[in-house]
Amino acid sequence: MSTQSKPTKRELREQRRAERLESERAEAAAAARKRRGLTLLGALGVAAVVVVIAIAVSSSGGKSDTPAPAASTGQAASLFAGIPERDGVLGKKSAPLTLTEFVDLQCPICAVTSKTTLPTLIQDYVRTGKVKLDARTLHFIGPDSSTAALMAAGAQQQGKLWPFLEAFYAMQGEENSGYVNDGFLRQVAQAAGVDADKALAYARTAAAQDRLNQANRDAETLGVNATPTFAVARGDGQAKVIAGGNHDIGSLSAALDAEAKQ
Amino acid sequence: MTAVPLTRDAGARAPALRVAIGAVALIGLAIASYLTVVHYTGDQPVCAIAHGCAVVQQSDYAALAGIPVAVLGVAGYLAILGSLVREGELWRGATALFALAGFGFSAWLTYVEIVRLDAICIWCVGSAICMTILAVLAVVRVLSAPPPALRP
Repeated sequence: MSTQSKPTKRELREQRRAERLESERAEAAAAARKRRGLTLLGALGVAAVVVVIAIAVSSSGGKSDTPAPAASTGQAASLFAGIPERDGVLGKKSAPLTLTEFVDLQCPICAVTSKTTLPTLIQDYVRTGKVKLDARTLHFIGPDSSTAALMAAGAQQQGKLWPFLEAFYAMQGEENSGYVNDGFLRQVAQAAGVDADKALAYARTAAAQDRLNQANRDAETLGVNATPTFAVARGDGQAKVIAGGNHDIGSLSAALDAEAKQ
Repeated sequence: MTAVPLTRDAGARAPALRVAIGAVALIGLAIASYLTVVHYTGDQPVCAIAHGCAVVQQSDYAALAGIPVAVLGVAGYLAILGSLVREGELWRGATALFALAGFGFSAWLTYVEIVRLDAICIWCVGSAICMTILAVLAVVRVLSAPPPALRP
């Protein structure tokens, strides 16, 4: 039978110290948890605000939903004035080189190209009889691209493919927002001088779909996976890609000149 | 007089998380840098698995207020790496802020790719995965940060 000895003063002091430390630890841990929670909440809050603003700016796409003024579509149509177009090929039949542009009507760079590159191409190469321009309307951006490409086939039937492409670019809306409907296509057709009823009727035919399929096959043959891409061919020879993506007119002209000299 | 960490686990995990965040951010930085170079040289991204890189790269969504998204990605990853230079609650919070913002915006861009553009850019998906991992690691790092040391 042993009796428990009374703790000494030193032991009591140690015990109180241990209890105090434990209590301080618990308080510090609780305060740290609270601080971490607040830090995380703050980071989440600021991040959420940043993301919401970024999404708002991004989804506007930097574009206006309203169609371009008639003046710009009129300018596009006048670009082709007096140049013959047969089966989508713009320029003199005798031109030795054929420059084929692979486009997607929803592609913003194609729209930029129509403003920056095409005028020079037409003035310096098509009007001078050096080059004729051909186009392949691809539809890999989305459903609106397919609808637009089918209507373009209808415009091509009427010998108005190039004015149609230019008028479309001038009115281009937000990608895959469903803006390419009959109403929109009628506006584009009107600006391009295309008979909208006829073109819409043709767009629903198997022949129009065949044109899209052919464009896809041509793109596949040349390894085209981006728009715009330019391919050149001499006479009936094999086409080869000479420019694509964010090209500049200088490099495209140089490639065309080199091809012309061969 | 030695400082005593309250939780040994948290103290040991902190450097490992920092290193992991740094490693993933470097991978993300490499991807974003590649896409930035491709953007400015006008080349097309190598897109062996999915063939939507050019579509995404040329879409309206490839730039935010005129700044290429790839450049924003580079800035984001650099910001995350910069916030790792020092330890401390404020710095851990900054890492979490950048990673969460990057994750949120990447999630939006992935939604755009799938729903609006119907095209997948494998590089963008890679970056989105990096941002997701970074967000998770950064949040864990904030929550498991070692508490201040007490003097005995």
